[in-house]
Amino acid sequence: MSRKTDIVVIGGGVIGASITYYLSKRGKKVILVEKKDFAFGSSGACDQMIFLQTKNPGIHLELAIESKKMYKNLEKELNHPIEFQTIGGMVLIETEDQMRVMKEFVKRQKETGLNVEILDIKDGTKIQEGLSPDLVGTTYSPDDAHVNSLELIKGYIKKAVTFGAEVLVNTEVIGIRTKNGKVKGVETTKGTIGCEVLVNAAGSWAPVIGEMIGLDLPIRPRRGQIILTEEVPPYIKHDIISANYITAKYSLDRSFDNDVLGKLGVGLAISQNHRGNIFIGATREFAGYNTETTREGIRRILKHAGKLIPGIVNFNIIRTFAGLRPYTPDGLPIIGYVDEVEGFFIAAGHEGDGICLSPVTGKIVSELIIDGKTFIDAKLLNLNRFRHLT
Amino acid sequence: MSHEKNVCICRCEEVTEGEILRAIEEGARTVKGIKIRTQATMGLCQGRTCRRLIVNILSKHVDINDISKLEIGIRVPVRTIKIKNFIYDEGKGYE
Repeated sequence: MSRKTDIVVIGGGVIGASITYYLSKRGKKVILVEKKDFAFGSSGACDQMIFLQTKNPGIHLELAIESKKMYKNLEKELNHPIEFQTIGGMVLIETEDQMRVMKEFVKRQKETGLNVEILDIKDGTKIQEGLSPDLVGTTYSPDDAHVNSLELIKGYIKKAVTFGAEVLVNTEVIGIRTKNGKVKGVETTKGTIGCEVLVNAAGSWAPVIGEMIGLDLPIRPRRGQIILTEEVPPYIKHDIISANYITAKYSLDRSFDNDVLGKLGVGLAISQNHRGNIFIGATREFAGYNTETTREGIRRILKHAGKLIPGIVNFNIIRTFAGLRPYTPDGLPIIGYVDEVEGFFIAAGHEGDGICLSPVTGKIVSELIIDGKTFIDAKLLNLNRFRHLT
Repeated sequence: MSHEKNVCICRCEEVTEGEILRAIEEGARTVKGIKIRTQATMGLCQGRTCRRLIVNILSKHVDINDISKLEIGIRVPVRTIKIKNFIYDEGKGYE
């Protein structure tokens, strides 16, 4: 089989699905190629949060705010029930040290335009019952939201197909065809697809695709283990994370060898879905491409959850699972063309922000490919920002 | 044997044989692929009964001799368990 298209998107996760949707919506002929099946990697093994408060003030938070704006119309646009809901979010603060960091963090977030405040634990308990009285306080933002990630991916793909996109599952990319330094096509296990542009949206597996043209991408799989409870009546009224998630993520060295969150092991995140299941996550570990859950990791998450919300220990758990978040050294995704081969575009490395940033990533990628420019300074997301490291 | 397409396969999520066959038509070649398309195995019992039925249906469409390729998705806990009981340590309590 040999065929041609405008653009080949590699990877059937939330980022590949979103890019396929936004490119086909603007009239491009797109083929999405997925080695296994859609939502088979990290996007099918995650929680559901669109959490603005965890984003570093500046470009990261700006991307999240724009994405959230796009989410508001997305359900109607896709004509698919993605269960998007702006439910509000809290960052639980356990110590005075964390409170100091959070006060500064919240101040900078407000300057970037986020609606967020710090409450003492008495006021916090008014909006979320069952919080431990030992907590020092909590933040609250009415803007945090969540979405059913599986339905989101299905929605993107279904709608993209109505615009003429094609989705090839069980189709693995085995080589990139180039000529005079330009992309000419993608070789797959089911034949060659001719194209002038390809988008590497393979998430944690993006380095495998990069290697095909000799690129060493600074993306590493980082395992996140998550627990799911039985369906229970509404209990977690707002999406919740613990402040150590933020204090560790942004106030200290984040390099691959000296990663504090990796050593701490857990960035607690709790949210309840439409059906009543509660997601409790997640570890952040470098364990290669291993997606097993561990007794130690699961117990560490659950103990931390029980410390912050004691009543949660009375629920039953029905499942544990793990996904590989595509980590980058600065916590921002890599989006843009590479210098080495013309037509080779990367959109990967979202770590735990893939669901949150999927609409805005689709927008940026489609604008950069079709218009040659986008609404933010694209240099901030380009692979070249890491070049001084090597 | 003729297929009763509306026979219930996954009772927790009320997924019928017809829906599972449609998922296979759409390209699902694994239990996980069927799960993602239909929600089968995603309910309270986590596929304890229907997983075997689904493998059975799949066996007519894919080679099931290599079970590792079926992504059957069995995970901890084997049975539903209260968080309290999972994190309790003898002598140390819940901490």
